[in-house]
Amino acid sequence: MTAMTATAVKATPDAAQPPFRRWSVLPGFGPALGFTLAYLSLIVLIPLAALFLKAAQMDWASIWGVLANPRVFAAFRLTFLASAIAAAINCIFGLVIAWLLVRYRFWGRRIVDALVDLPFALPTAVAGVSLSALMAKNGWVGSFFAPLGIDIAYAPPGIVVALIFVGLPFVVRTVQPVLQDFEPELEEAAATLGADRWVTFIRITLPALAPAMLTGFALAFARAIGEYGSVIFIAGNRPGLTEIVPLLIVIKLEEFDYRGAAVIAVASLLISFALLIMINILQRRLGRHHDRG
Amino acid sequence: MTIEVRNVCKSFGAYQALDNVSLTVADGELMALLGPSGSGKTTLLRIIAGLDQPDSGEVLIHGQDLSKQAVRDRRVGFVFQHYSLFKNMSVFENVAFGLRVRPRQQRPSDAEIKRRVDELLGLVQLDPFAARYPAQLSGGQRQRVALARALAIEPKVLLLDEPFGALDARVRKELRRWVRKLHKEINVTSVFVTHDQEEALELADRIAIMNLGEIEQVATPSEAYDRPATQFVSEFLGFANRLTCHVENGIARFGDFSLPTEFDNYAGDAVAYVRPHEIGLNRANGHDIARATIDSIVALGPTARVDLAYGEQRLEVLVDRERLTELGLVVGDPCAITITRAHVFRGT
Repeated sequence: MTAMTATAVKATPDAAQPPFRRWSVLPGFGPALGFTLAYLSLIVLIPLAALFLKAAQMDWASIWGVLANPRVFAAFRLTFLASAIAAAINCIFGLVIAWLLVRYRFWGRRIVDALVDLPFALPTAVAGVSLSALMAKNGWVGSFFAPLGIDIAYAPPGIVVALIFVGLPFVVRTVQPVLQDFEPELEEAAATLGADRWVTFIRITLPALAPAMLTGFALAFARAIGEYGSVIFIAGNRPGLTEIVPLLIVIKLEEFDYRGAAVIAVASLLISFALLIMINILQRRLGRHHDRG
Repeated sequence: MTIEVRNVCKSFGAYQALDNVSLTVADGELMALLGPSGSGKTTLLRIIAGLDQPDSGEVLIHGQDLSKQAVRDRRVGFVFQHYSLFKNMSVFENVAFGLRVRPRQQRPSDAEIKRRVDELLGLVQLDPFAARYPAQLSGGQRQRVALARALAIEPKVLLLDEPFGALDARVRKELRRWVRKLHKEINVTSVFVTHDQEEALELADRIAIMNLGEIEQVATPSEAYDRPATQFVSEFLGFANRLTCHVENGIARFGDFSLPTEFDNYAGDAVAYVRPHEIGLNRANGHDIARATIDSIVALGPTARVDLAYGEQRLEVLVDRERLTELGLVVGDPCAITITRAHVFRGT
């Protein structure tokens, strides 16, 4: 027994703080940090700061006045809800597509792989126009739903469809590499231990993919909140019913209400930011034991 | 429980991984599948487990044909080369997995699961680590968790794929002794794959030596070493001097030597294998049968390795260091040699 006395491993993930600068054969922390700060300031921080400044020109009462408007509230609810639903749907079907592309070798796999990126390349307005033609009451797809009393185009479901389209590549592209690196032995181990396919998928495979799926969800969600081009063609844009936040901002701008537009933009930004941080925290908790070792 | 592999063939495309392989593992035996990479040993192990399907042939465990049975119903404990622990579960949950996924009627109660897992963790001496996650363990500890996890389902047989391959030398030696002891304790029929002959010789009751998809010999370690069945086994197991010779009238001729063979009616080329300790070394005295020159001497520990030049042939000889000092031989000296034993195989 003495031969194998268990030697304790120092397992203190939190105590081991990474050093501020790690020695590397390719030095350049200074220039890299300088460049990053300058670049981010120019591209992201300065425009955002200007936006906040513009919004700050109003007092709290008038900011509240802009936001407490039922039309604005409806637009926010629609935008975030439709984006979340679209991202969730993308999460599931993105996983299926990634699964197909990684796990199986079939004729035309590369073509399918290339098709996934197409929503990135296509001008979103074109997508919006063709989707609304397809989903309209007399369109190919819409005509199947019309007798059931379900409107897709010019109604909230149409917005979700457009947002699914623009968000499709995110989940596929985040899950794909993780699935590629996933050891098939883990599934085999579960099988030898008596787990059936469903249990193996739920308890072994899915937990390993969950952090990547959540990243894909966050990206698709963020992308959907900002989406404008495709949605305005399919939404119908009825105030209070199918009007999204980005459209509301454009309308304010057209009315030369720059401050109002800035207030709505800042509000949208802050909500998005809060939600993304929450997703990030959740993701860390999920990936806790996967990152190390 | 016994394992019987009957006439199993398996090919991957044009590559024949297993060519009509048969093997019987006795109840409670610890069998090693030993061979170089690409010899088909892992494929054979995976087929026994049901992780791969044979093209033809059958696998019987305890007399029962398992060919049509799904992996999850076979109750075969499998330990993977790279542990393959579930990273999102604690050590405890890893070991408990096989019990928790049982159908509801057969599933033990939580208290029973806890008792069994604690018992297994005690067996692999990891009780204090139950709450740890795999990433927080050392290689040897992970391997023992993998072993406990496989044992949790009370497997009919235990299969281990290169169980010590990913560990450093010191841990490997410790774990090897420990596995030997554990096997004596639990006495479950086990097969392990290795390319390390030292490991196979030390651990296994019997070894099956594989090459190019076939089993060359199944024997106890000492039998395989002393009486290799084929040229491949002679070369693969330990070191042997390879002498090309010619056989006539049942006698193999190599230089000045006449080596007895078992071939009565064979005349032609042959290869003789002589272990380094099967060559005798003496001072040259003028009446010698065969004379060689000493090329180099490596004296380490109780035995010395002496490299000889015998004509064109190089010979490696092991002698006691005391004996070498007695003889007073040094590099460059001529010496007399004898061959005490040789294994002769037909062909070249």
